[in-house]
Amino acid sequence: MSLVVDSVQATLGASEPWPDDVCLFQQYQVEQITLPDYAQCLAVRTFLHMNGLRFRVEQRTNAEEMSPSGKVPFIQVGLYLVSEMDPIVAFVGTKGFSLSRELSDTERSEMRAYMSMVENILGNAELYMAWLNAEIATEVTKPRYGCSFPWPLRWILPWSKQREIRARLKSNDWADKSLDEVCAEVKVCCQALSERLEKKEFFFGDRPTELDALVFGHLYTLLTTILPGGHFTAVLRDFENLGKFCKRIEDSYFRLGGFD
Amino acid sequence: MGNVHAKAPTEPELKGVKTSSAPAAKKDDIFVKFDKLPVRVQRVVVDGLTRTKDDIIIKEVKPLLSAKTFDELVQLSYNAKVKMERLGLFKNVVIAFDVSKDKRENGYEVLFEVSEFRRVRSGGIHTEISNNDGSLILGMQMPNIFGRGEKLDLHYIIGTKRTHGYKAHLKKPLNNNPDIYMGALAFQSHGEYPWSGYKQTDRGFALDLTFPTMFGSHNLQWEGVWRDLRALSRETSFSVREQAGHSLKSSLKHTFSIDTRDDRILPTTGTLWQTCQEYAGIGGNVEFAKQDGTFQWNTSLIWDTIFQVSLAGGVMRPLDPKASVNINDRFFLGGPLTLRGFNLHGCGPHSHENALGAEAYWLAAAHIYSPLPFRPGKGRFGDFFKTHFFVNAGNLGSLDFNDLNGSVRGLGETMRWSYGMGLVLYLGGMARLELNYVIPMRVQKGDKVNPGLQFGIGINFL
Repeated sequence: MSLVVDSVQATLGASEPWPDDVCLFQQYQVEQITLPDYAQCLAVRTFLHMNGLRFRVEQRTNAEEMSPSGKVPFIQVGLYLVSEMDPIVAFVGTKGFSLSRELSDTERSEMRAYMSMVENILGNAELYMAWLNAEIATEVTKPRYGCSFPWPLRWILPWSKQREIRARLKSNDWADKSLDEVCAEVKVCCQALSERLEKKEFFFGDRPTELDALVFGHLYTLLTTILPGGHFTAVLRDFENLGKFCKRIEDSYFRLGGFD
Repeated sequence: MGNVHAKAPTEPELKGVKTSSAPAAKKDDIFVKFDKLPVRVQRVVVDGLTRTKDDIIIKEVKPLLSAKTFDELVQLSYNAKVKMERLGLFKNVVIAFDVSKDKRENGYEVLFEVSEFRRVRSGGIHTEISNNDGSLILGMQMPNIFGRGEKLDLHYIIGTKRTHGYKAHLKKPLNNNPDIYMGALAFQSHGEYPWSGYKQTDRGFALDLTFPTMFGSHNLQWEGVWRDLRALSRETSFSVREQAGHSLKSSLKHTFSIDTRDDRILPTTGTLWQTCQEYAGIGGNVEFAKQDGTFQWNTSLIWDTIFQVSLAGGVMRPLDPKASVNINDRFFLGGPLTLRGFNLHGCGPHSHENALGAEAYWLAAAHIYSPLPFRPGKGRFGDFFKTHFFVNAGNLGSLDFNDLNGSVRGLGETMRWSYGMGLVLYLGGMARLELNYVIPMRVQKGDKVNPGLQFGIGINFL
């Protein structure tokens, strides 16, 4: 049902050009947002910037509850609300903007494979690290997640969110992994990305694609967020070309107009 | 109810003076000249106690020892019986008097044979009708649970509009007084509010104290409730969606009511006065002060017609002048039993078909009820029907406290009103059902009007 609604909505929205008052909703960046959510938001913002689309970032404490899918980020384009990376990419595509139009079919499917790898491995690793690592969950994630609520919601809501994440990671066998296994997964993923990128500027051709936006969103978040233990930062340090890639994207899409 | 059994002492001149002080006594009880008979109560036996605590019983039967005459003894015993039954201690109390065994002069014994409630009593299945929404309640009761008249009620409620919830309510009489009681309530409920395009899950806890005074009944309540509001569907307006999320309301509420009406669904005489103040903001993140009141006056006219006037109004303001009160605490107006001629909550500001509510409202209604023309079924089913003519008016808006006069005038100038006539059906003390033909006379832009036939069912009406 919701798939039908999504596609109908995407087709309906297609007739209008990109309006001026597009908003992207996320939680408060400094005090509230958690690591996995921040990575998702940054990926979408990078994607929109790469397309040269104007939008405004609205920070709301209840962004997660406002979102039609219950996940951040979501964008408001006229009457339409679209949430999460893939539907946003599809929606923007129907407006005639696409980063991967010039790729061949083989390249495009290759790009999709890399994207799903990044979403799977880095996405789950971030959730694991943020919510299941006892030290990080207690010291960083839970206080941030509950910061906008009064007692006792301040501890009930992070606790129930943690249960929800644990159940989700249990169902895809991530919950039982050890920290070293998770770091090894991340290493394998980065290895693959690093080999694909080599010395090039972007992953495919000489223009950024959705994959570049997604990889930047995740890696930049992991590189710049200082967490107790610093496990991921240590893993990422070995891949010099990925670090340079992040720096490059940051300079060209976020430095010029200020960091949003 | 139990009977008072009196065993007459063997006295020669027995004359028929009925013990007027014992209303439960039947006509065929023995007629004895009791009233001046001197007594000394020597023993009071209460038989049948299992979980009821001694102290509460002693407190109730102790006055019996001071009885001087037989008449007084009967009166006091009857009072004790009624009190113990009202406290919810026993399902039945039988009193027996006897001359005392040691044959002392004027010595008497009183025996209370009590039967306690079973520990768990099925509260059965019953239905409850709130405004245009019916729900089924599965209940369980644990009367006298801790032995001092405490009552625990457990409810599971399932309703149309996907309402469902649980409720546990513990009531305890204070100081052995069945009219003054404390309550503790824990609940979880889920409901949908399609007129505003949201759904909400409430989880909460409340403590309250109910006590009567010379003027009316008071209820003081503290409530802490965690509300999780979500958009109902993708069509929900963004103004409602913006308010999604978790909120914690911790509020103190005082309800005062005087109700002298003979019936709350279809009264023929009497007055209702009810006011409610709520102050939210003792902890939690919901902060407002709210005042709400209802007044209703009924009087019977000639030919069994009844004239009824009702007034209601409310105002709230956020404690922080820059903030606004969320949709789940606001006032709404309109509906087939309140402001007739409008859809349920169909008055006032809307955003994409979703009613947003407002921070102030007023509502007035006048009815003339009369029996059905030609009185079919008189004395039988016909008495459950009435025809009525009505006029109702009201408005919903926001008050600007810096320009109170102006905004009050605004609430008067942009008022909505309608009139009409219809049939009222009295549904066994539970609800009323109205089928009306309504002519809305003044509507405002954005109102959802329902001219012509309108059907409504519920308890609350104006």
